[in-house]
Parts: sequence; structure tokens; C-alpha cells
Amino acid sequence: MRSNPQHLGRRGILAVAAAVLAMGGALTVAAGLAGHDGPPQPDPDRMAQTRADPAPDLITAPAAPVPPVAEVTDLGPWLAASAPVAIDIASIDVHSTGLVPLSVGADGVLAAPTDFGAPGWYTGGPTPGQLGPAVIAGHVDGPRGPAIFYRLGELVAGAEVTVTREDGSVARFTIDSVARYAKAEFPTSLVYGNTSNRAEIRLITCGGAFDRATGHYVDNIIAFGHLTA
Amino acid sequence: MRMSHKLATAAFGAAFLLPMGASSAFAADGDVNANLAPVALNGVAGSGTAMVKVQGTTITVTMAASGLLADSPHAAHIHFGADARNECPVPADDVSADGTLNTTEGGPAYGPIIVSLTKTGDTSPTSALAVDRFDTAPGGRLSYERGSITVTAEEAKAIADGKSVVVIHGVDHNKNGKYDGDVKSELDPALPTEATDPALCGVLTAAPAGSMATGAGGAASTGTSSGILIAGAGLLLAAGGTGAFAARRARVKA
Repeated sequence: MRSNPQHLGRRGILAVAAAVLAMGGALTVAAGLAGHDGPPQPDPDRMAQTRADPAPDLITAPAAPVPPVAEVTDLGPWLAASAPVAIDIASIDVHSTGLVPLSVGADGVLAAPTDFGAPGWYTGGPTPGQLGPAVIAGHVDGPRGPAIFYRLGELVAGAEVTVTREDGSVARFTIDSVARYAKAEFPTSLVYGNTSNRAEIRLITCGGAFDRATGHYVDNIIAFGHLTA
Repeated sequence: MRMSHKLATAAFGAAFLLPMGASSAFAADGDVNANLAPVALNGVAGSGTAMVKVQGTTITVTMAASGLLADSPHAAHIHFGADARNECPVPADDVSADGTLNTTEGGPAYGPIIVSLTKTGDTSPTSALAVDRFDTAPGGRLSYERGSITVTAEEAKAIADGKSVVVIHGVDHNKNGKYDGDVKSELDPALPTEATDPALCGVLTAAPAGSMATGAGGAASTGTSSGILIAGAGLLLAAGGTGAFAARRARVKA
């Protein structure tokens, strides 16, 4: 069998073309996947759990059922009312002394801070340290890049959050869980309700995919914590 | 003064006797909370929060407040009146012009009692002044939690709709560490008015609706940009096609 340089050449050209195309495709996909990760999201394994069971099983230590007659009331530590003036979350390098008050608009929705660098606290709820769920929200990003709560999705159970208050006291919270929820299925009762009889905190930002059509992220990332001191 | 008290008592009595309404199949569900703040004119340097979970016609109440007269009974109630302003009283409610607000003067603001937040036993308005069953605020700190409190469907709806008001009573006006004084309570002449005057008050407010818009997309992921991925996938498909074509050519030749 004689070799045919012409045919070999054609096969060679095709092989090279395939290789080049494959490499280009792979590189393009790699670029697409690795080009820009976006804001950190909560641990995917736990997210899978959240998706599978949206019940509040991620929220650790739910209160025991309240007996019909409460003879002894132990609400754990709690503080008097005092507006928050600073928040520090060392593990994700959040340090802010510019908390702004947030209130509910005419549409019933809690408006986010107008300043992308400032966390805001919900004045209709407890101040951080009081009995109940204190809510502090911050943007994950602004139009030009990361904002104050960009790394909130990295927060893990056990992390410490300290809130300095107007009266000089410091409320120290320990994070219990961090989860991502579709905005359409926002867990209002878990966030604002009487989910456990103690002083708690919720940190809220945006997560998931950014919908360029609406100009909004599709999810909220919520960190739940309780007052430890 | 005496006359105004009598009038007030009559007004309170009338409010007290408002029909409680028959329970119906209608149910309300929701979480409401109140930031308890000092009642106008009464000078209590205190604060607190109250949380109420409404499930049908059953409510669970959790409450913590500080700055109260220590080790003294503090009557506490949920108030609601269809004709009330559904808010905490303001200085203009001091119709007696004595410089303080008693419980009755707050009536136009918060309406009659619908639940007595006793620690044990009955929770109906009948227990409004059951002083031996209310928290005594050890060290000035009141802690309260109680479930399985039954209300009417109308009351449950009013609470869930953010129209009810939590009031904690007991004001040591003369700061001598106990309930005393010559002025008797308009609610019970056996008690000094200090024992029943409203100390802290807050409207039980519904939670904000839904999610928060906390991002503008400036740091949004481009990693899953569908355009780039489609281009890459297209190139890979082309590569696969070219490779298969080359292989087929080779096979044919062989």
C-alpha cells in the first residue's frame, strides 16, 4: 500500500483544524466559566438542602414548643433598645460605622439603603440586641462593583458579628446559618417572625443570578444569628 | 378630678363590655412585633419588644422589657378597638390635664383590652388587673412568653393586620421604689394609679412584605454568561464535527 501524501495532507489539515477548534472551544468555555465569579454564594451543599426542603431546618436551635402555661421564662441574653452605630464582621472584613435607618415604604417593602457602602437597620423591628429578630441589610454590589455586603455569602455558622450601639454597649452575635432564597419565596416569617424566643440578628443581601432585564438579583442571601453576649 | 375619674371609669366599663364577637371559621396567620416605648407624659425610662405569632385564633406572645419599676407587678395587655386610633397615646390624650396619662385616657388611642398577658390562668379581659398573675420585673426586667392564647377570629385578624397595641402598666411617678400615692387607680380604687398607669406601649406591626433589592449588578457574575458559553460550545461542536469528518475520511481511505 502506497502512501498518498495528498490524502495524508488533507487528513492532517482536518486533524489540525479539529484540534484548533477544540482548543478554541475549550478555552472559550473556560473563559466563560472562570472569567468573573460574581459575589460569593453560600455553600452549595447547604443550598441543595435548602432547595430540597425549604422548611426552617437550616435554622438551628428552634425554640421548644411553648407550654400552655409558662411558669419560667428564659429568653437568654437581651439588651434594652439602642440604635446600632457600627457593625463589624471580621471573618468577611466588614467594618462600617455608617449604619442608616431603613423603613417600610408605601408598598409594604423594606427599602434598601441608598448608599451602596452603608448597611441599614430596620427601625420597625428590634434594635440589635433586643429580644426578637433585628434586621440589618446591605448591598452586595453597586453599579460599579462590590458593595458593603459583597462577601456575606462567605459567612459561615460560628462566625461572630458585633454591633456597637448608641448607648456604647456592644451586642455580640454568633451566626447560626446562611442560606439563599429565591426572592419570590422570601421566608418572611423566618426573617421577621417570632422564630425563637431570644435576641437574634438577620443580615440580608442579594444573591444568585443577576437578571439584567429587571436590573435585580433573583435571590436574597440571609445570615441568621443569635445574641451570645 | 374625682368627677373625671368617674367618667373615665364609666368609659372604660363601656369599652370593657364591648361584645367579644363570636368565633368563626375565618382564621388569620402572621407575625407581628412591637417596639415598646415610654408612654407619653409618664416618664418611664424603659424599652422593650413584643412578638406575637398568630395561627388561626391562637396566638403566641413573647415579650421583654426593661426600665420598669423592679419587683412589682406589671399588668400587660393587648388592646384593640375598632373605633380606636390603633396607636399609642399622645400628650393630647391627657383629658384630665394632670400631666400624666392613665390607662383610661389612653383608650381612644389603643381601645379596650382584648388579651390579658398573665403568666398563668385566664387571659381574658376579666384578668386585666389580676396583679398576682403578671410578671414582677425582677431588677426592672420583664420577661414573658406564653402560647395557646385563644382570641376571636376578629381579634386575630386585627392583630395580624397590625392594628393591636401592647401596653405594659405600672409607673413609679414619684420614684420612691413602690406603687403608692394619694391618687387611686381609675380602674380599681384599691390600687394606686401608679400600679395601673401605662408605662410602655407599642403597636404590633406586620412584617415588611417580601424580599429586598440589595444589589445593582456591578459585580455580578460574568462566569455564566450564556453568550460566551454558547460560542465555546459551538466551537467544540465544530471541532467534533471536523474530527469525525477527518476520521471518516481516514477510514474510507484505509
